[in-house]
Amino acid sequence: MTLNTEVRATPPAGRTRPSSQDEPTSYRRHHLVIYLVLGTIAFSAASAFAWVLNVSLKTNQEFLGTRPWSVADEFHLENYANAWTNADVGAYFGNSVVVSITSTVLGVVVSAFAAYPIARIPFRLNGAVLAVFLMGLMVPWMVTFIPLYLTLQDLGLLDTRIGLILVYATYNLPFNIFVLVGFLRSLPGELEEAAAVDGAGPTTTFVRVILPLLGPGLASVTIISFLSNWNEFFYALVLIHSPSKMTLPLGLFQLGQAADYGTNWVTLFAGMIITALPVLILFALLQKQVTKGLTAGALKG
Amino acid sequence: MHRIAQRRIIIPFLLPAVVLLAIFFLYPLARTVGISLSDWTRTGASRYVGSANYTALLSDPDYRSALKNTFLFTFVGGCMLFPPAVGIAWALNQPIRGERFFRFVVFAPVVLSAAVVALMWKFVYHPTLGLISPALAELGLGGLAREWLGDPLTALPAVAFTTVWQGVGIWVVLLSAGFERLPREVLEAGRVDGAGEWRLFWSVMMPLLHDLLRILLVLWIVQSMQAFAFIYIMTGGGPFGSTEVVGTLMYRTAIDQTEFGYAAAMGVILVVVMLAVTTILNKVLKRDDLEY
Repeated sequence: MTLNTEVRATPPAGRTRPSSQDEPTSYRRHHLVIYLVLGTIAFSAASAFAWVLNVSLKTNQEFLGTRPWSVADEFHLENYANAWTNADVGAYFGNSVVVSITSTVLGVVVSAFAAYPIARIPFRLNGAVLAVFLMGLMVPWMVTFIPLYLTLQDLGLLDTRIGLILVYATYNLPFNIFVLVGFLRSLPGELEEAAAVDGAGPTTTFVRVILPLLGPGLASVTIISFLSNWNEFFYALVLIHSPSKMTLPLGLFQLGQAADYGTNWVTLFAGMIITALPVLILFALLQKQVTKGLTAGALKG
Repeated sequence: MHRIAQRRIIIPFLLPAVVLLAIFFLYPLARTVGISLSDWTRTGASRYVGSANYTALLSDPDYRSALKNTFLFTFVGGCMLFPPAVGIAWALNQPIRGERFFRFVVFAPVVLSAAVVALMWKFVYHPTLGLISPALAELGLGGLAREWLGDPLTALPAVAFTTVWQGVGIWVVLLSAGFERLPREVLEAGRVDGAGEWRLFWSVMMPLLHDLLRILLVLWIVQSMQAFAFIYIMTGGGPFGSTEVVGTLMYRTAIDQTEFGYAAAMGVILVVVMLAVTTILNKVLKRDDLEY
């Protein structure tokens, strides 16, 4: 059945893009294979998500007693209410919102200010300062988490949201500065001169002239920072210990540990949906920017 | 001159970022080596012990097994990652319908938290409540069903697969950009000469993508040798230490046992190994630019 639709979808495929040249019919049959493979991948990913959603709507008895793919016979939305209040997912959600938004804003603002002189004011240490920041893109977390833990302990910031916020903001800096410096360098060089002729000081020039032009760059680093801060697991695990301060990924992990020994499975699944939904919506709305940004992020290695 | 006026803002503009970086990154980084040369006690007192941690590590069977598992994870995961990633990237560059949809589906797991994906797959692998084993039983292949994460033989590949499943989108996008940049004239010339797509793929596209593949391979090694979240969440290093990698061993040694010095030494050694492996690979796989 599926096979049929795949076959029928194939012939016109070659003509969907006007940009591609006339193709010899000889390699159209490849498209059948392509659709089969891509279709399988899409199907497996979609069914995994659907399965989590489905379980999150079942009761525990139903989850344990019925076959995994049987559809929930009634939508138990109270699982979400349970997860939110009884399993503290609401509190984790609140922590995640506070931590990710604050650290993202802090990281973006601080790096916008830092990127400006690095990119556009010639001084003796431009290159050196940039190199120090970019070093942060290359150093593996393994060599920093122990001293970071000790440093936060010394500062009394261990197990505090402020500590986590400062750490996240700092670890956003290298990527943010990397992207923003590139962006700032692409702006025309006469901007400052023109502003100076009009009598604007350097700070005014930055705020009134440069920042507005930096919009797209700021948007992309904001999205990427937010995504990585929202999803971050490792530093949260190392630095946060009290349940009342946990972010969603960490809280969810704790909930998973508890579910291993308890019986409250469906609540955990509801919690997974609650964690995944905001980023999936964000991604659906901003697919292009997210893909581009995360790709640049992957190349930072 | 506005240049002179500009100089006044350099330091105040840079200061916040530099302070953050210094406190939470540069200072800790510099401290690592010092920590790895000391012995830490629970009370927080430290004592310089020279290279004692390093010599102890050399004969530590747990560390050796973790190092072996780290390499195994990198290798198995790499085998699971590259063929599908190249295939999907190639497919997405063919003129097909629904490209945007497929790109969305392939990339969507990348934006999810490792915690969510790891928990989800932990259940997918569950022998009775999951998807895989019951599905196999349903198909009459119940003999193949097993406790995927509870069996030392399958636990590591199962976790590696989950890691790849989540991250494959990034690699597809990077490879896809490579396919897009291939010179169209060369491909057309090949087609005119009667080469099939299969032949074009192996004899033209792969050689032209050689450099990109080399970079991505190094990137994968650097990433996978630091694997932590998926393993920690899905198996916790078990069963019987079969998925214990350096990342998880280091975390437990540092946080659970407060052996900061010993754990730091583990990290330093792994980073040195990582640098050595990537440098050698870069040298071996490097070749002169292709002429076409």
